Formats: sequence, structure tokens, C-alpha cells
Amino acid sequence: MRFWQLASFGGFLLLLPLILGLNDYYIFLTTLILLYTVIVMAWYFIGGLAGQLDLGAGAYHGLGAVVTGYLMIYYNVSGWIGLVLGGLAAMGVAFIVGFPSFRFGLKEVWYALASLGLVLILQKIFLLWTDVAGPLERYIPFREFDPLYMRARAKWFYYYITLGLLLITFYLAHRAKRGKLGLYLVSIRDEEEAAEMLGIDTRRYKLVALLTYSFITAVTGGIYASMVGFYHPILFDGWIGIQTATIAIVGGLGHFWGPPLTSVILLSIAEYLRINLGGTIPGLHQVIFGAILITAILFKPAGIGPYLESLIEKVRKR
Amino acid sequence: MNSRCNGLTKLQAIVVVIVLVIGVAVGGIFAITLLQPTTPTAKVEEIRVGLVEPLTGTYAVFGNEAKMAAELIVEQINAQGGIKSLGGAKIKLIVEDSKSTADGARLAAEKLVSVDRVNVIVGAFISAHTLTMLDVTEPNKVIVMADALVDYLTARGFKYIVRLPPKASVHGATAVDFVVGLMKQKGEKITRPVLVHFDGLFGEVTGDGVYQRLRDLGIKLVDRIKYPTDITDMAPIIERIKAAEPDVVFVVPYFADSVLFAKAVKTLGLKVKFIAAAGGTGLADPDSIKAAGDAVELMTNTYSYDPFLPTEYNKKLVEDFRKRYGKLPTEAAGIIFYTLWTLKEGLELSGQKYPQDPLNGDNLMACFMELDLKSGPAAETYPTGRIKLLPNGDNMYAGAVVLQVQGGKPVLVYPFEKAQASAIYPRP
Repeated sequence: MRFWQLASFGGFLLLLPLILGLNDYYIFLTTLILLYTVIVMAWYFIGGLAGQLDLGAGAYHGLGAVVTGYLMIYYNVSGWIGLVLGGLAAMGVAFIVGFPSFRFGLKEVWYALASLGLVLILQKIFLLWTDVAGPLERYIPFREFDPLYMRARAKWFYYYITLGLLLITFYLAHRAKRGKLGLYLVSIRDEEEAAEMLGIDTRRYKLVALLTYSFITAVTGGIYASMVGFYHPILFDGWIGIQTATIAIVGGLGHFWGPPLTSVILLSIAEYLRINLGGTIPGLHQVIFGAILITAILFKPAGIGPYLESLIEKVRKR
Repeated sequence: MNSRCNGLTKLQAIVVVIVLVIGVAVGGIFAITLLQPTTPTAKVEEIRVGLVEPLTGTYAVFGNEAKMAAELIVEQINAQGGIKSLGGAKIKLIVEDSKSTADGARLAAEKLVSVDRVNVIVGAFISAHTLTMLDVTEPNKVIVMADALVDYLTARGFKYIVRLPPKASVHGATAVDFVVGLMKQKGEKITRPVLVHFDGLFGEVTGDGVYQRLRDLGIKLVDRIKYPTDITDMAPIIERIKAAEPDVVFVVPYFADSVLFAKAVKTLGLKVKFIAAAGGTGLADPDSIKAAGDAVELMTNTYSYDPFLPTEYNKKLVEDFRKRYGKLPTEAAGIIFYTLWTLKEGLELSGQKYPQDPLNGDNLMACFMELDLKSGPAAETYPTGRIKLLPNGDNMYAGAVVLQVQGGKPVLVYPFEKAQASAIYPRP
């Protein structure tokens, strides 16, 4: 039974591009939604488990995009290598920022502001650093289908890459949750001083969470750059981090399934509204999306995660 | 533990089944819609035209004006009986928001091409955004009619692009020619010009146009100052201009920055003989005048469209536009006017020459290349009155005009022989 269920769900995900009629636009949108869901899932490490309100996703996302794109354009390096190098670069930046932050006990809103500041700082740096980025878009060479270079016209190519990344992220998050790391991080989240008293190296584990999160987020940036075919400092977008944290909070802070499910649902609604209203009454879709968010927070302040769980519970009891 | 697992499986299984059923149904519908339009001999009922414009975000002011213009023109074309050679087929306009970002424009193009299956896309006002759309449209043989100005849009070997308005470098050169001619009338010469522009693609290329024309005339720039598009404080820029002690300032702004610039010039008391902008965005259009007030008085800008062009059709169109939207159409609307009318002419020709497959990208493109418009609404709204495409998709007879703000209203001052009033020089 369990096998059948897993297989059918896996089959659905694998066949999704076909179900979407191989329509590039819908696959593109689905991939975007999955990509942002990966970030939400990566945020589980730093936000869900370790309880740090990190808003810096845009910084790592942008860094991954710039590094991957730059290497592809100017050194003809395969995007696959770019993804890894971009991830490592993001880890480097995360370390430089995270180490002193945790060392000097930067927490709560102050940590949130610092992480958001990182996005803006990196954006300015790359706007001024004209050898690498600057104010002009840099275009990645067009290839009809070149899997080794990681560039293709057909969008299903990126869909499967993103799907793979999503599965890896889920696996890592699940392992962390079940393992010692998760326990350490949750104890830090719930009562950092008590955790420290019990002998947990809080700084070290927070840093581990941050580095994992930054690496995965940077990989999403690299995939994004290759998929849209250009990079620009505008990809250091503070909104990504805010969106990620909002979705994770609405989905239920610290819950495993709530945030990614919420991400898929909310982002689908957002795109649906944009497609149908974006051209007729500009901006209206953002207003409606905002209203949905407010309603969700008003009526389910603890997030949708517990609600989903109680729903499952109800069905089980029947 | 076991029962919990079972509960989960039941629910999940139901969800999976539902999702699968929906998915297969949607897929089936798609397969059907995909198969349908492949018969090229089918009678053309409507021509789907996509419009990608920045309707929200930094450049929304231009995108919305373009959208207004497009809706007005499509209405007029359809009211006149649509495309006659295609049996009166109507144009269906599908508007998409680029959100003022390059990836937004790309996403919009992706949708228009693979969902709406448009025949032509008009847009995306910002050149860098237009470039990201070409990645999507070229392989699908969808023609982009660009209302963006940067030179290399048409210099990269794209096959399915038409760009009627004058290039960015032409705008730059026009600003220089205008100021040089104006000063010549007074027996003066530019001696210490300063160039100020925002650091985006369009700012760079238009700025290069100014620089190159000055260089060709043997005039050296005293300083070339760049600033970020999202600048919030112009004071340091104005101070740097002051330090260069210029006689003429050439500026390439966008919208919000042009307002900041004009206000800073006024409040910080920058004294120069003349301030001339290039590129058709900011300073001398009704929206800028509304936003910056008398700070933009006597400033000029170059435009790809002349709202005061004294042709029959143009006068009526400007009147209609005013009545409907309460403002004078300038850059963004004007480009759309003649672009859509040219599209109409191209479609008419394609209907005559290729009745079998008039909307095919290759056929339509061949027809655009054949057009030589000297009369009709397209020519009557084009500054030089003539449209004939070069092989790269640019208009052979491209030309820009200059408007100056006089008494809080834009007035045509260049070309001198067409001017409504003589340009006021120098600044007080």
C-alpha cells in the first residue's frame, strides 16, 4: 500500500510535464513554484529548526545566479559546476556573516534585519562591480539542448533539475529532523540558554544550519539564471527572503509538511491571479494575494501546518 | 503507529487519485487545443497580438500609456472592419505585465507564445527586457515589434524583429544636433558640455549617441556622470555637474530620476545655458510636468513621436486620446500608434500575398520588409512621415523630434522647420 502510494505520487511528479501538455509556459511556472518551494524547504534548517528569522534568501539566491551565470558566459564552464561553486561561494559569505552574528549573539529581529541588509549590500556590490555584473544584464549563450552545459530551450529540462534538488532538500531536511542535528537545533530554537547549559555548541549548530540553507538557496539561483538566460544584480531580491519566511510562518513554523505545501498552494494562487488579472487591472493580484495572506494569519495564527495535521487526524479517526 | 500510517495512506491516496484525474483531464484538453490550430489553410478569424509592457513597478508610467494607446488603436482597426484581406479578421489584444523586470517580461513572452499562441508580440518598452523575450520568440518564429530603442536589439542577427522608432543613439545625436543648431542661431557654440545619464543599458547607449555626435563635431565632453537608476538623492550629482562648470548639460533620465533631477537643479540653483535630455523618457512629457511642476520649465527631450504632427489622422487621434485618457500622448503611446498601424498594413499585405498561411512568421516578416508607407495612419503618425524597413528590422527613415516645456506645456521645437514655436534659449 505504502509502496503503491509513493510510486503513484512519484509517477505524478515525473509525468507532470507531460500532464501539462509539454507546454513550456506551464512547466516554467511549475518549475518556478518548485524552485521557491526548495528555498522554503531550505529555510526549514535555519528558520524552522534553528528558529532564526533569516530574511537573506535573496542574497544566496543572487550569488548562486551570478556565479553560475558568470562562469557559463565567460569561462564556458558547465552550469553543473557553476551550481556547486555558487553554492560554495554562498556558504563562504554565509560563514563570514554568520560566524560573527552568532558569536556576538545577534538574535530575533536584529538577526532578521542583518540578513535582509546582506541582500542589499550584495546587490550594491555587484551593481558597482562591473567586471562581473554591473547594471547591464548579462546573457547566457543560447543552446537548443545541451545537458552537459546545463542549458536548454525546453523547460522540462529545468523542471527535472529542480525536482531533483527538491527531493535532495527534502531528504536532507528529513534526516536533520530525525537526527541529532534536528534535536540540537530545536533545543536552540526553544530555549537557547538552556541548550547551551546542556553542553550543546549552539554557535556551531546554528552555523551548520545556515551553511546548509545558503548552499541550497544558491543552487536555486544558479538554476534560475540558466533557465531565464541572464543574470543581473536585481536577482539579489529582498522580496525572496520575505516571501520565504512569510510562507514558512503561514505554513506553520517548525512544521515539516506545512510550509512546502503552503508554498505550492499560495504560489500557485499568486501566479493564477497574476495571469488572470495582471494585464487588466495592474497590481490587483498583489492586493488579493496580500488579503489572502492576512486572512490566513488572522484565522490560523499558528499556521496552516497544525490545521493540516488535525485534518489528517480527523480522517484517521473515522 | 500502524493505524496512523493507514490513515495517512487513505487520505494521500485519495488526493493522489484526484490530482491524477485532474492532471490527465487538463492534459487531454491541452492535447486537443494543441492539435487544432495546426491546419494552416483554416480561415483566420482573429489575429492574436500580445502586448508586454511594464504595468507595475519602476516603469509603470510608460507601460500604462502604451497599453492605453494599444487599446485605442486596436479598437479603431477593428471598428474599421479589421483586416480586410483576411476577411475582416479582428485583432485580439492580449496584455501582459512585465512587472518592470527582465524575468517578468520573459515569463510574459513565454505565456503569450505557448499558451495564447500569439502571432505577434509588441513590447517590452525596456530594451533589456525585450532582449529576454527574443530568446523565446525567435525559435518559435513569433515576430516581436519592439517599442524599445537600444541599438543592438536589431544588431544581433535576430530574424523576427521589427523596430520602428529611432534608435537610442539617434536620440542622443538628435539632442546634440538640436542644441548645436539652436546655439548657432545665436552665434554661439557648445564649449563645455557635460553628459549625465543613468547606468542602465538604455542610458549607456543613448549617452554614447550624445558622446559620439559631439566627438564627430570636434567637441570634447568635460565630464560624463553616471548614476544608478534607483537613485534617491540627486544632490551629489548636481554638485559634480557644478564642479565641471558646463555651459550645456545633456541628460538621459528615466522617469522618477528625471523628476529628482529637475527638482535638484531648481533647489540647488544649477546655472547653465541649456539642459537638453535625450531618449524620450522624462522631463518634457505630461506625466513628468505633472510630477516635477515648474522645475522642468525650458528643459527639452527627444521623442520618437511628435504629438503635434499636423496630419489629419494624427490630429484626430491625439484628440481622441485626450478625450479618453485626459492627457497628451507622447513617447510610449506614440510608438504604439505607428507600430500597430504598421502591423495592420503588414497583415493586409500578407492576406493578399499568402492567403494560404498569412500569419506564418516568415510570410508576415517578408511582408513587413516589402512595406513602404508614405501615407495612411502609420505614416501620418511617424515623425518623418515614412516607414520602410532595413534588413535588420529598423526603419530606414527613422527620426526623432524635440519637445520643450514652455509655460508648463510641451511644445515642438525641433526639427526647426516644423517647430510650433522657437525654442527658448538660454535658461534664465
